Amino acid sequence: MKHITPLFFLIFATYIFSAGDGAPCGDYGECDTFKPDLWNSESLQKGFSTYINYCYGCHSLKYSRWNRIATDLDIPEDLMFKYLIFDSEVKSGDLMTGSMIKFNAEQWFGVAPPDLTLVTRAHSPEWVYTYLRTFYEDESKQYGVNNLVYPGAAMPNVLLSLQGQQILGCKDILTYASNGGVKRDEKGNNITEERCGYLLSLNNGQLSTEEFDQLIYDLTNFLTYVGEPAKRVRERMGWYVIFFFIIFTALAHLLYREYQKDYH
Amino acid sequence: MDTIYKWFNERLPISNTFERHLSKHPVPKKVNFWYLFGALASVVLIVQILSGIWLMFGYENSEEGAFASVEYIMRDIDYGWLIRYMHTTGASMFFAVVYLHMFRGLLYGSYKKPRELVWIFGMSIYLIMMAEGFLGYVLPYGQMSYWGAQVIISLFGAIPYIGESLEIWIRGDYYISGSTISRFFALHVVALPLMLIALVFMHLVALHEVGAGNPEGIDIEKHLDDDGIPLDSVPFFPYKVLNALVGIGVFGTVFAIFMFFFPEGGGYFIEAPNFEEANPLSTPEHIAPVWYYSPYYSMLRAVPDKLGGFVVMAAAVAILFVVPWLDRSKVNSIRYKGIWSKIAILLFAVSFITLGYLGTVPVTEIRTLMSIICTIIYFSFFLLMPIYTSFEKTSVPPERL
Repeated sequence: MKHITPLFFLIFATYIFSAGDGAPCGDYGECDTFKPDLWNSESLQKGFSTYINYCYGCHSLKYSRWNRIATDLDIPEDLMFKYLIFDSEVKSGDLMTGSMIKFNAEQWFGVAPPDLTLVTRAHSPEWVYTYLRTFYEDESKQYGVNNLVYPGAAMPNVLLSLQGQQILGCKDILTYASNGGVKRDEKGNNITEERCGYLLSLNNGQLSTEEFDQLIYDLTNFLTYVGEPAKRVRERMGWYVIFFFIIFTALAHLLYREYQKDYH
Repeated sequence: MDTIYKWFNERLPISNTFERHLSKHPVPKKVNFWYLFGALASVVLIVQILSGIWLMFGYENSEEGAFASVEYIMRDIDYGWLIRYMHTTGASMFFAVVYLHMFRGLLYGSYKKPRELVWIFGMSIYLIMMAEGFLGYVLPYGQMSYWGAQVIISLFGAIPYIGESLEIWIRGDYYISGSTISRFFALHVVALPLMLIALVFMHLVALHEVGAGNPEGIDIEKHLDDDGIPLDSVPFFPYKVLNALVGIGVFGTVFAIFMFFFPEGGGYFIEAPNFEEANPLSTPEHIAPVWYYSPYYSMLRAVPDKLGGFVVMAAAVAILFVVPWLDRSKVNSIRYKGIWSKIAILLFAVSFITLGYLGTVPVTEIRTLMSIICTIIYFSFFLLMPIYTSFEKTSVPPERL
């Protein structure tokens, strides 16, 4: 019996895991890796500032309040009012409902830009990080750009001036033999073949690729924070609770063993 | 102090009840970890009731306000996130311990005479829990809440003649709306919890009447001491309470690991589309139930006909109720049953877990085929039980624990 069980699972597993579901990042395939750093106030502040300057015009953060972000990100409220809040009606405890009127937005973009408070939770931080870096030129689209992660996205590439243009192009890549080695011709040169659908940068933006990636990292980091502001506290508190339960279990076990002597 | 206690005791059966159900209640002295899940289930029930009450402080049961009020709880109420995750993780933990508790019953024949009623009350609890979980899942009014509800309610529409009216009756509207949320809220927080508590009470009363089982599946009442107390038993308090405390400690650790570090449970406790507000105009890419319903969802999808699928799904739950009468074995415990019972329960467990996995992923041809095979195995386990349990060769259990 014991030998059959693993075999059984193996056969089952081969069959059911074999079918391909859509890649997590659309035409891009696997998303790029992203590791949030929620205790890095500087990164979160930069991300917040990028968000307000480039995203908040269209995308609200309607479940979040201004003063909560100020407190969590160590931003003095007066500085926030001076540099990041452009609407004189706003009070510090207000929800960040955005400034765009839904009707206008639908006229302009076809769909109203979604609220982004929970975007990193509805997709994933990796998805957002990859999405924002994979716009490319596509004349057939309303705003001249398309996106690899989310093909047909209605959003214009608002960060174009920073990133510069990207196009979909082809490049030569190495070919591999069945044993995993690189295929070579008789002279020992690598055999390559042309594959298309790759993002190529025209490098005509204000930022270098590294600088731009860092900007998107900070922005995604901020969005990860705003998706669940309690996350930092949650994880820290978790260690204490687990520590408590381990001590509790140990003591309960000792007591139980002591009482067990009565009937063993 | 004594006079006050006496005054009450003469008017209320305090010491009687305490002795009968706790301090003198005899329980088998040798049981294994499988016998802890009942106690753990009652702990989670209490966690769910308390966290649920606290959630109600901030929740708004309306179409416009439901989703935002959950985010309000998560952000603006002090430790609201803690209460909310306790409730969402608790729901999954509740099902996890109840599934293990039920499997324990199947392993050691806990449903066999004279414990049939204990089993039936237990199954009723499970049934109400499934309804309770579904109703609660709709309340945050995210995308998966909405579309999950759409799928489940439309199942009732497949019933001939009354289907369509039944759907409207359940929703309280022609589509899922504010009326649906208010009635689901009322049912989730008042009606079903009352039923659950009543059923749990009956489950325990019936259990204390017939006594708890043991992994050997033998009757400890056969060997009594001079006072009529089973020789192989110990008083529930403090011995079993201490045992349960160790279990609660381990369980609490697991609970805390999920709640504090993986509250979304990898998308199985809280599904990603539920972080988007319900939108009747856009269907999520694929609709999957939370993990504890997914075995039945696979069965539903395995049958091409909607009504047929619904019937199979309902039958899969209904058949559990009659297990006490399907098992014809002379022995209770799997330890002394024959090889056929052992193979059957192994196949059953594997097929149930596979169905669970299949219910969470998109359909492909091969997966549908697997679902059909597993559904057949699931039903065969029960339907063939009268045959394989009466013909197989069993061994003789010991006299004493």
